[in-house]
Amino acid sequence: MKQTLSDRLFSFVAYAILMVFTIFCILPFLLMVIGSFTDESELIVNGYTLFPKAFSVAAYKALLHSDALYNGYGITIIITVVGTLTALCISAMLAYSLANKRNVLQTPFLLFCYLPMLFTGGIIPFYIVVSQWLHLQNTIWALILPLLCQPFLVFLLVSFFRTVPEELEEAARIDGANEMRVFFQIILPISKPILASVGLFYALYYWNDWFMGLMFIDNEKLFPLQLILRRMVSNMEAAKNLIPSSAAISTVVPTYGVRMATTVLTIGPIILLYPMLQKYFVKGLTVGAVKG
Amino acid sequence: MPNVRKRGAGYKLQQIARNPFLYGMAVPGLLFFLIFSYFPIYGIMIAFKDYDFSKGITGSEWVGFRNFNYFFTSDDFWIILRNTLLLNVLFIIFTTVAAVLIALMFNEIRSKYFKRISQSLIFLPYFMSWIVIGMLVQSFLGGEAPPVNTLLQNLGFEPVNWMFESSLWPWILTVIRVWQGAGYLSIIFLAAITGISEDLYEAARIDGASKLQIMLRITLPLLVPTISIMTLLSVGKIFNGDFAMIYAIIGDNSLLYPTTDVIDTFVFRSMRQLHDFGMSSAVGLFQSVMGLIFVIIANAVTRKMSKESALF
Repeated sequence: MKQTLSDRLFSFVAYAILMVFTIFCILPFLLMVIGSFTDESELIVNGYTLFPKAFSVAAYKALLHSDALYNGYGITIIITVVGTLTALCISAMLAYSLANKRNVLQTPFLLFCYLPMLFTGGIIPFYIVVSQWLHLQNTIWALILPLLCQPFLVFLLVSFFRTVPEELEEAARIDGANEMRVFFQIILPISKPILASVGLFYALYYWNDWFMGLMFIDNEKLFPLQLILRRMVSNMEAAKNLIPSSAAISTVVPTYGVRMATTVLTIGPIILLYPMLQKYFVKGLTVGAVKG
Repeated sequence: MPNVRKRGAGYKLQQIARNPFLYGMAVPGLLFFLIFSYFPIYGIMIAFKDYDFSKGITGSEWVGFRNFNYFFTSDDFWIILRNTLLLNVLFIIFTTVAAVLIALMFNEIRSKYFKRISQSLIFLPYFMSWIVIGMLVQSFLGGEAPPVNTLLQNLGFEPVNWMFESSLWPWILTVIRVWQGAGYLSIIFLAAITGISEDLYEAARIDGASKLQIMLRITLPLLVPTISIMTLLSVGKIFNGDFAMIYAIIGDNSLLYPTTDVIDTFVFRSMRQLHDFGMSSAVGLFQSVMGLIFVIIANAVTRKMSKESALF
């Protein structure tokens, strides 16, 4: 088919708009990564540039001595792994039960799970439940338990399980499989794509969460990465404190560089896994966009 | 035929007893909601009490609507209410417009590589925690010589003292919001566009419609139900200032409170710094109730205009 001049102009505008927005989205990350490798004195004089004159790995070298950072990584990895696996397990079981036509309590169960999306008690009662009733403050459980079930993600799973043909389950049951076997051996294996995307969403929630830490954690030994980073946002000195003064570094701690380098290390795993994971996220979102 | 009466309580109990695992599977999830969502709802009564840690929720004294009065008559009330609504309206309008525009443009371009790479990159900010974004904002606008000012000066503009100018922040926050969320939202819209029947486009092309006409007369109108559902979802949260975002970026910079303090950050501060649990709960309750009312009204309005666009 032939393109008219106006059509060609239109395509050009489309490319231009997308190009500009893409650059707008990625530029801050580029500046940050390059900034973390830039010499401290140049950062202070020239600010962040895409083409710095003097490269330096001083910031990363300094961070090698930071026990607090290793500790933060450990905490974040633990809550992400434990949290994601547990959350996925609980959510998948709940969603399977909610989606099953034989569940005579389907409507009340669904209402019970979706109402919290519309009406909550607010953060004060939530704070009191977690700290005064469950006594979770300053334990790692305060970072894991409150995020175990996200109604939106349960909703994604429910919409998926509804699309699984009933005959599949029935056939297995006629062959003598009980409910547990049907779920673990029939349903779960065919649900891998949705489990992968929901699992990724949970992992992201856990990796990026700092609100639970801010509310319930005072003990620095339990600080996840995000909380360590938050300190540096609010307090310039915090970057220096991250490096123990006894550490054998000859020069002064590069404050700006350390802030940038810590940020890069915090988002590092996401950036590295991102190209592989992105299609799952898109798939998960598309399932959710279809009105259930 | 006794089995036909499916609605009886006896039948239900029998069914439950017959499939213990099917119901048992739901138990951990239901327990989660009971503890972390429903127990706090019970705690709402704190809003009507003079809350005392040592006495607990039930032991504290009832004070009627005193907490509410205190909040509604304070000067802060109108400021944080205005900020919450204004910021949300700015966020919703600009993010939606940007996302629709991006989705429409993606639909027009042919190059697969460009599409894939560009999509991955604009989706990336959505994966960052607000703390990371707060750090980026701090690095570009904060400090003694903000890098953005160096750029402004090189272009011949006056430098701006970003961390003092509260009037600029509604717009700065809107730009950040669009940067973070528009790519994500555009993917949802793009998924909806993919669902539009190819026949419609074929027919339009045979009739000699230009690309621009096709976009405005076919793609955009058919996208409206999805746009309205996504907008409804955000309207439901219009009384929730995005705490994670605003606290991560503004933090405790009180110079910026006049335009950026929202209900959520206000509640958090009164809880952590003033230990005023009664009033904070009253504010939280006000927020929940208003949010619920807004969802119901917005849904009813949408339902009137087009049934399929409504949420429930």
